[in-house]
Amino acid sequence: MIRVTELRKSFGSVRALDGVGFHAERGEVLGLLGPNGAGKSTALAICTGLIVPDSGSVQLGDAGAPRDPAARRLIGLAPQQIALYEDLTARENLVFLAKIHGVHDPVRRADELLDMVGLLPRARDRVRTYSGGMQRRLNLAAAIVHDPPVIMLDEPTAGVDPQSRSGILELVQRLAAEGRAVIYTTHYMEEAQRLCSRVAIVDHGRVLATGSVPELIAAHGGESVVTVDTPSGARITRTREPLREIERALAEGGATAVRIDQPDLETVFLALTGRRLRD
Amino acid sequence: MRASLVLALKDLRLLSRDRAAAFFTFVFPLAIALFFGYVFSGTTAEPMRVAAFVESASPAADTLVRALSEDGAFVLNRVESREDGERLVRSGTAAALVVVPASYAEGVDGMLTGAGPHLGLVVDPSRRAEGSMLVGKVHEVGFRTVFSSMADPAQFGRALDRMEASLKASDMSASDQFAIRAALGRARSMAAQSSKDAGAARASGASGASGMSGWKPVSVDVTELAMRPGIPANSFAISFTQGVAWALFGAVLAFGSGIAEERQRGTLVRLRVSPMSPNDILMGKALACFLTCMATEWLLVFFGIAFFHVAVSSWVAMAVVVAVTAFGFSGLMMLLAAGFRTEGGTQGAGRAVLLVLAMVGGGTVPLVFMPPFLRAASNVSPFKWAVMAAEGATWRNWGPDELWMPLVVLAAIGAVGLTAGTALVRRSI
Repeated sequence: MIRVTELRKSFGSVRALDGVGFHAERGEVLGLLGPNGAGKSTALAICTGLIVPDSGSVQLGDAGAPRDPAARRLIGLAPQQIALYEDLTARENLVFLAKIHGVHDPVRRADELLDMVGLLPRARDRVRTYSGGMQRRLNLAAAIVHDPPVIMLDEPTAGVDPQSRSGILELVQRLAAEGRAVIYTTHYMEEAQRLCSRVAIVDHGRVLATGSVPELIAAHGGESVVTVDTPSGARITRTREPLREIERALAEGGATAVRIDQPDLETVFLALTGRRLRD
Repeated sequence: MRASLVLALKDLRLLSRDRAAAFFTFVFPLAIALFFGYVFSGTTAEPMRVAAFVESASPAADTLVRALSEDGAFVLNRVESREDGERLVRSGTAAALVVVPASYAEGVDGMLTGAGPHLGLVVDPSRRAEGSMLVGKVHEVGFRTVFSSMADPAQFGRALDRMEASLKASDMSASDQFAIRAALGRARSMAAQSSKDAGAARASGASGASGMSGWKPVSVDVTELAMRPGIPANSFAISFTQGVAWALFGAVLAFGSGIAEERQRGTLVRLRVSPMSPNDILMGKALACFLTCMATEWLLVFFGIAFFHVAVSSWVAMAVVVAVTAFGFSGLMMLLAAGFRTEGGTQGAGRAVLLVLAMVGGGTVPLVFMPPFLRAASNVSPFKWAVMAAEGATWRNWGPDELWMPLVVLAAIGAVGLTAGTALVRRSI
């Protein structure tokens, strides 16, 4: 649905993107996982036509590049910053955005989305009276007001409470299940693990690795650490087959406790970059 | 275009919800108009600019014009024709036109036979207070000049000669004529003696009362320059057009920071990701400003008409003036928007620059009351041309031949502002 090839972009002497490439298909959530400043937002800005790359290309299905207004109709963007008119009500915000996208029945569409994000009872309240989590949900609704097949979510859970975060993640899963391609940037490893069909690890403007979470862990996460406590002391084993190691320890007898430390995306990131995700 | 209109309507809705911005756009100009309307209900302490058309080539007329010129209450501007003088009055350059007719000298000579000198005064009806003051001053100066003419033995002698000639032509009895001639003879002697005494008094620095107070030797015909219908006659006619400057100031400031606000709020990203082109976005911004300028100008006009007897000379002219003014100031707004990336920068610089331009352009001191140097300086202010155009369509009663100048200037500001501003803003969004 969207194919990004060899994007390069510099701002002065700072190279923000250095050959970034990825693709996302309908029904999948592609996570762009990386620390702040890795180049995730720049990549999204190019994907939405906000910035022109120095080189490389973005192709949206058969519609062409996102600088073309017709191709941009295929994209929905929820920017990292909450981008809403605080002095308008939630419904007015969505109706306005629906109108500029040429949606047929903007009021009905606005109410559908408000219902979807659980804000219909507050539809007539001005956005400035909303909590951070409510504004985040509305920010997401605003991105899909024209029902785009490609949705780009730039850290959509930044600064929200756990309950709102859970609601947003469920909504993203639902959007993907409905057949949309979702590109989701985050520096929260847990979100990527929970949501993403595939993850691209981004750092210093480059995609270091791409794949499903198990694939990435298998390729870059290293061995699991199995710790078997026995009366004579703890025995630590590094292995790629931790279950087999546990079976063996149980068969030998004497084990009082068993603990497995499996590699995760944090481990993957550490292995790929030599530093932690939130350093 | 439809998307631009939707964007403009959204901006208007946001304006209506921003109480401070709505106040400065719609209420403040009205308050200014009312304030200055009441302030200018009185007269001005500045010397009054008066045009003078002198048809009479005579010493008496020269004496009168010299006296008017030397009077500290006036700044006299001699013109070549009555039409030139009326044009100055209509444009506000002069408060009134004094017409010294060709018969003025004859009138002075014939004063003792009952004809008396005559002056014409053409006044701006919206400046009646100044007109009334001018009538009084003309009487005063006329009295002084005529009386000093009579103090001239030769002038007085000519007046007596005319009187004797008219006596001869009359059918008065011989005895009555004899008595009057005797009286005229004594008058000649008295005038000669009076002249000698006056010369001696001037030499000694003494002064004396004329003993003729209350006598008005000059008749003044006052004509109001109301050649077209619908001219208002009060200070609110001036102050409401003055309010236009503040209405435009509020509108430009409210929308000048619109793009910076969208940028800071992050909503500019949403607009740019939408199918709207940058031109659509900028057109929407300009359209909102245009509609607001129109609305606030019409609000002033209708409020003035409804409550303060402000009159529109031509509704067509007014509609054109309002539309062109709104276009001009939409361009100015776009230039302001192009200059700064942040809301604070736009608002701060906008206030600093626009405030000065609005004040110089007639927002505080009405153009008609400005001293010449300030009036010349005001040419750089777009507000001056907006106020002038509004005055032209209301109390100045301008026709197309007079309105074209401010309209062309405003249209040029609009065209340049929109073109340059759009190009600059496009680069930054």
